[in-house]
Amino acid sequence: MARLVVLGGGVSGHTAATFAAKWLGSSHEVVVVTPNSKWNWIPSNIWVGVGQMGKEDVTFDLAPVYAKAGINYKQAKAVSINPEGNERSDKPFVTIEYTLAGREGEVENIEYDYLINATGPKLNFGATPGLGDANGLGEFTVSVCTADHAVHANEEFQKCIQKMKKGERQKFLIGTGHGLCTCQGAAFEYIFNIEHELNKAGVRDMADLKWISNESFLGDFGVGGLHMKSMGFAVSSKIFAESLFTERNVDWIIGAHVNKVEKGKVHYELLDGSMNEEEFDFSMLIPPFAGVGLKAYAKDGSDITATLFAPNGFLKVDANYAAGAYENWKASDWPKTYQNPTYGNIFACGIAFAPPHPISKPMSSPNGTPINPTPPRTGMPSGIIGKAVAHSICDRILKGESSPLHEASMANMGAACVASAGKGLFDGTAAAMTIYPVVPDFEKYPGTGRDTDYTFGEIGLAGHWIKHILHHLFIWKAKLKTGWTMIPE
Amino acid sequence: MIKEIITYPTPPSVKYATDVRVFDAEIFSLIEDMKDTINANSLYGLAAFQIGSYYNVVVVKNESTSNFLELINPRIISHSGKVESLEKTAYFPKLSANVTRYEKIGIVYQDREGNQHSLRADGNFSILLQRKIDYTFGSSFLNKLSKEEKKLFQKKLEFGSDIAISESCPTLFNRDYIIKVINAVMIAMVALLMGSLFVDETTSKQLWGYEVYLFLSAIFLNIVYFFYAQYEGKKFTSCTSCQIGNIIGTAVISLFKLFVITLLSYFIMD
Repeated sequence: MARLVVLGGGVSGHTAATFAAKWLGSSHEVVVVTPNSKWNWIPSNIWVGVGQMGKEDVTFDLAPVYAKAGINYKQAKAVSINPEGNERSDKPFVTIEYTLAGREGEVENIEYDYLINATGPKLNFGATPGLGDANGLGEFTVSVCTADHAVHANEEFQKCIQKMKKGERQKFLIGTGHGLCTCQGAAFEYIFNIEHELNKAGVRDMADLKWISNESFLGDFGVGGLHMKSMGFAVSSKIFAESLFTERNVDWIIGAHVNKVEKGKVHYELLDGSMNEEEFDFSMLIPPFAGVGLKAYAKDGSDITATLFAPNGFLKVDANYAAGAYENWKASDWPKTYQNPTYGNIFACGIAFAPPHPISKPMSSPNGTPINPTPPRTGMPSGIIGKAVAHSICDRILKGESSPLHEASMANMGAACVASAGKGLFDGTAAAMTIYPVVPDFEKYPGTGRDTDYTFGEIGLAGHWIKHILHHLFIWKAKLKTGWTMIPE
Repeated sequence: MIKEIITYPTPPSVKYATDVRVFDAEIFSLIEDMKDTINANSLYGLAAFQIGSYYNVVVVKNESTSNFLELINPRIISHSGKVESLEKTAYFPKLSANVTRYEKIGIVYQDREGNQHSLRADGNFSILLQRKIDYTFGSSFLNKLSKEEKKLFQKKLEFGSDIAISESCPTLFNRDYIIKVINAVMIAMVALLMGSLFVDETTSKQLWGYEVYLFLSAIFLNIVYFFYAQYEGKKFTSCTSCQIGNIIGTAVISLFKLFVITLLSYFIMD
């Protein structure tokens, strides 16, 4: 009997674990280690953050689902990996620390034959003074990164609405809280859902909305922007985004590295090196991501974290980390199998794998501060990668060690994104976009590196319906209900 | 080398720009071509798209010193104030539009060595840079126009002219009065025709004589209508009903009715 241990139960880890359990059957063991008791459909957190959904709408208990799937579920956080075992055993293992009520702090070593690192990111609030610290979110801003954060964000948002109803003008500042953030899409969705709800509450004229992000142009989204082809024309996401922001009367600051947050004020550095301030009454700033801080030890107990992990804490995989400058970047730099180059039985998926370099153009201020989005690995690609990795491991377990690995390079993968711009059955809007490939392939598609025949964008009510349907569809899939395997990632 | 400037209707968004990644002879040659083309056409600036390159390059000329500013991968990273400007661009020759722009902007860009620089611009320079950077993201100023201005500009595009576009299309033209007179003449002809049914043959023939005068008058009025309508149409180029097809159609319908009445009158009255 082989044992596959999956670290993390988010979109990517859950996909990998559930498919592996299905393909391996009861003759092999799948273990999931995640500190959370609930699964969270993160894309819908933005609706929790404006009070259009409750926490219970976007989360569900993992234990019954994993029990049904025959997965050994351990509510714990991974602490370290011993890929060579230790002095007493050659068997590799991970050390975990329980977060389950009643077993908090209890440490256990779990041996594995294969390991998938799908821990997702550490929300690195501490990277920006005032945004938070090692314990998480600070007191001056809100976040929609977790369901609990989103609930808190909505509480603060409702307070602002009440103030506006009493005639007190409010200033909203939404965006990214550091020069190296990703997930601009979530902030983009949140600011337009805020705008939509303010309209519904009849207080839009009492609010000033401003976007702040590390993108060098509006609509970069961490993928260097995209050109949306519609009716024979391809329009840059910059033009699309600027039109939307202007239409909704939302001002913007771009090319900004937020370097300090105080009560009611952010300090930021622009790409031109200038230092500026912006005041706010309500602010939702996405934190930068980092690895969760897993350590790695060799058989003799020496620290080999730098061998297994990149400096940002994400797991090294089959990517070209020596690509160098922007002009040298190639589609082939991006990983295909997500296998660790040193330890062949360790894989990574979702945000946990270390990307070779950004997708957006790297930029920095004259002061040397890097200000550019880091590459997104969430949503559709993370599910696809999780499934491909599970497929590779299952083949190796069931068909033998020489089985070829499955590939899912982001440079050869399309993705669909539905970004909500307001929730409502008849007045909701969302921008539906497809992009191919996610990582530009400048050799295959000279110019922008993308195939505009497969790159599409449209905003409207239909997009909102799609977004809402997807919400129910993916939660159905994650709960492993009838037909879940038929639903694409 | 002087290059041909791409003009409407070639859509800018089909040959959209991409960031320059390799700063090599190809880019330097492109910049020199842009300078030559600017000089040859007495322009203030060009985006690379305008001479058929998809690279994210803008070259602008300083009016007073004649020096060129080369901007590779420019980005507008800050803005303030708004201003309405009447703009012209080589992409839409002979046409202009009122565009809302930022009064002041901050830009970061790279030079030929890939070094990053920044600048702040205001006034006409700011507007010129905004217009050129639009091209580098696959857009002309068409996407910056208000709904009303866009509608008006699309009319300008349709007629290929900037002249007399700003007036609104009248609901009633002078030519319509001519048609009313023609209709009145034809009603009189019908009245004579009907009257002839109740009179003796001699009186009927006498009425036919009046009928011929009315017929000739209507023919003359139709000729006047045909030429005057075209003259008037040139004053209202934003009006689709002023097109020659509509004028011919109206005249043909009028003449058809006139000939039907005249033929019936000929067989009954004469």
